Amino acid sequence: MATSTWRPARRNGLWQRIRKHRFAYLLTAPTALAMLGVHFIPTLLAFYMSFLRLNQFTLGRFLRAPFVGLANYALIFSSRNNALVAGINNAARNTLIYAVAVNVGTLGIGIVLALLLNRRFRGRGIARTLMLLPWVVPTYVVGMLWGMMWLRDRGIINTILVDWLHLLSQKPFWLIGRNTLWAIIIPTIWRQLPFNTIMLLSGLQMVPEDLYDASAIDGASAWQQFWYITLPLLKPVVAIVLLWGAIFTFFGYNIVIMMFGNGGGFPGEWGDLLMPAIQRQSFGYWMFGLGSAVSILMMLVMMLFVGIWYRVFRVSLIQE
Amino acid sequence: MMDWQRLGPRLRRFLAHRFADLLLIALLVLILFPIFWMFVSSFKTNQEILESRTVLPSRWQLRNYVDLWEQVNFGLYFRNSLIVCGTTMIVVTLLATFSGYALARFRFPGADAFGMAVLATQLIPGILFLLPLYQIFVFVKNRLGVPLIGTNLGAIILYIAFFLPLSLWILRSFFASIPRELEEAALIDGCTPFGAFWRVALPLAAPGIVATAIYVFLTAWDELLFAWVLNVKTIPVGIRLYVGQYVNRFDLMMAASVVVTLPVLITFFLMQRQMISGLTAGAVKE
Repeated sequence: MATSTWRPARRNGLWQRIRKHRFAYLLTAPTALAMLGVHFIPTLLAFYMSFLRLNQFTLGRFLRAPFVGLANYALIFSSRNNALVAGINNAARNTLIYAVAVNVGTLGIGIVLALLLNRRFRGRGIARTLMLLPWVVPTYVVGMLWGMMWLRDRGIINTILVDWLHLLSQKPFWLIGRNTLWAIIIPTIWRQLPFNTIMLLSGLQMVPEDLYDASAIDGASAWQQFWYITLPLLKPVVAIVLLWGAIFTFFGYNIVIMMFGNGGGFPGEWGDLLMPAIQRQSFGYWMFGLGSAVSILMMLVMMLFVGIWYRVFRVSLIQE
Repeated sequence: MMDWQRLGPRLRRFLAHRFADLLLIALLVLILFPIFWMFVSSFKTNQEILESRTVLPSRWQLRNYVDLWEQVNFGLYFRNSLIVCGTTMIVVTLLATFSGYALARFRFPGADAFGMAVLATQLIPGILFLLPLYQIFVFVKNRLGVPLIGTNLGAIILYIAFFLPLSLWILRSFFASIPRELEEAALIDGCTPFGAFWRVALPLAAPGIVATAIYVFLTAWDELLFAWVLNVKTIPVGIRLYVGQYVNRFDLMMAASVVVTLPVLITFFLMQRQMISGLTAGAVKE
């Protein structure tokens, strides 16, 4: 009896809370509908599509294409000599290296730059504005611009390195072979640096000044101050910057696609990333089933990353 | 080797700061060089770019820009980009303002789940929902006769959904930083909930709303993958088609790069404060 009287009361409470917040639901409804239509339903569909043999012959049948279970996934992990699969595996390896290198690079240089800009000096505003400028260059322009700068014989980078500074004896190929990884990592660091720096700078500006004064009285060195005061207090900002950086690099497309052959070329074995690879495979060869499977795996890897990210930064995120 | 410890503390500080100045200048030179190079290259002849012996063009000529204007139907691409980015900006900002306010102010049942779901969408690679949506668009075209591939409408629908989650999150933190006492006072004075939102909270959040709108516009301005796959003639697609045609015409490429970067650069110089506040709002609480 007790439960039967308790239950309706609780449901009534929930119902009343929902009624009380009618206005909030009204405000949220359009967004919820838009996201239902273009995020959640397509994600579910893609999940289903990843179990279908959906290629150029069966594309017209869409969801009625033959169900093949995990065959698409099995293909990705198979070691068979399949050019498509090899391309995706290369792209996956490159994406991993690219994501790690870009984020370590932007974070490291970003902290140095933020510390340099956080001092009081004349022209600080101008320096900050200039630092932000790569951020206004559209990413597809970044790809074209650096593609020109990386050229072997005529590119300005080899001209500076070899002809002017004599740092290298021979002009290396940047857009062919393993160096391609550098050719895509460095421009991405360049483009992403302003965002990280401005975020870290705004984090630095919230560190209370008296913490430094107090520790200086206690005889702390500048290095100790940085290590024991600045860095721990920057942790929430570092968390955010790393999360966005991971999304930006893991799902990177524009810079890579525009760098090779003026947007028409193939980035090669060491320059291809997952997003361009899936796009090429899906819309070039109409392999929608395989493309969906790789995309789903990408999402799972991203979720795994966020899980680890949350465990590492949980404390500092909650403190904030 | 000089003994660092034996120097006086003031001298040490002075040297450290001069070293920091030098490092900052060096980094800024590295950061600015590619933009400088893009700019000067756009005034060179292709021959001069390929020889790359001189830094500045021997003669500042506007030939590249004239050629670009004559060869590319910039009017078409520009208009499409303005329509797509402008419509996306207006709709996204409006929807994100409503739902961002709701999430910041009301603890309604499902609010946390909704907020988490919004954030979770950021983990989906764009191509994942592009694959089914492409087929749905084909289906809609065949069954209902509404063309969504190759039209601005298709791109607008995708962009709205794509940029909505992050905008919502940015605006939520803007509304959360506004004290709610003002709205409560308005409610006591007989204002409706909508009136409190519209007449009290909205004006206070205006800078944040402007920042979000700029963010949405610029992100849409920079979007290539969806527009390319859906064959929508926006500026990035136009540039990619154009430079693909003229292989190794770096003079034209750089002129095109300058032309598409300039609007963003001008916006940045006019709205720097708002853009930075929008950038940092999502992450750093006041």
